[in-house]
Amino acid sequence: MRKIAGKKHTAPDIPTASTGDIAFLLIIFFLVGTTFRAGQGLKVVLPEAQSTERILKRRNVQSIWVDKTGRISVNDNLVAASGVTSILSEKVIDNPDVVVVLQADRDVSYGYVTDVLEALKDARALKVTFATGYRMGGGG
Amino acid sequence: MALSLRGGRNSESRPSIPTASTGDIAFLILIFFMSTSMFAKEKGLKIVLPEKGEATKIKAENILTVAVNPTGQVLVGDQVVNIPDVRELIVKRLAENKELAIALRVSRRAPYNTMIQVFDELKLAKAERISLMPVLTEEATGAP
Repeated sequence: MRKIAGKKHTAPDIPTASTGDIAFLLIIFFLVGTTFRAGQGLKVVLPEAQSTERILKRRNVQSIWVDKTGRISVNDNLVAASGVTSILSEKVIDNPDVVVVLQADRDVSYGYVTDVLEALKDARALKVTFATGYRMGGGG
Repeated sequence: MALSLRGGRNSESRPSIPTASTGDIAFLILIFFMSTSMFAKEKGLKIVLPEKGEATKIKAENILTVAVNPTGQVLVGDQVVNIPDVRELIVKRLAENKELAIALRVSRRAPYNTMIQVFDELKLAKAERISLMPVLTEEATGAP
């Protein structure tokens, strides 16, 4: 018994064959769970709301930024409200399910936001989400 | 040759592909993806805009106008309300009239944050039919 076991040359080691599989599993997790940033956008401080919902279909998302001074940015271009219509109407033709996420600063006047909303109506991009941060309930 | 192979049987050298480094390679790729990507944090308040020219007729008694004036004051109907009290009032009105549609009319000069707070209150009150009234000129912010 002893002699045979000695012949088989069993060196003690930790099995490493599965680490690659584990790591690939993590890669797949990160690939599915993340998206590459399409554009930097503008610097905004989002308002907070209690009824904030997650957007599930992230592939259909088109962001529009409106900063504190009322500048509007789509795909890293500064545009006027009329420019929003022309860019978005192309998007809507490509993908009718596009969801516009309006990343507007909390201190901007509502007039800029309503101009963007009118431009979106003209472009027939009717699914809109106001980007907000989540606020815990309780106080209200 | 054959002899030397026979001799090699002692150390049991079977041909194999070295797999010890696949884990390292995979972790390298993993670190690359972790550092270059970020979790999408897209979240917010949803609304579906009405189509242009598609005017749905709603009886006047079923419309409740919620207005925000340039100073950020909130009016429900013609009553000035604090933002945290909007929800309660809307819940009460919805209980009285299930058909109630809410028209949110916000001044162009009102802060966006106030509009979001009011919109949040409407959502929390489970109001289904909310519409955002476009205010194109500043004169139109008063009661309809």
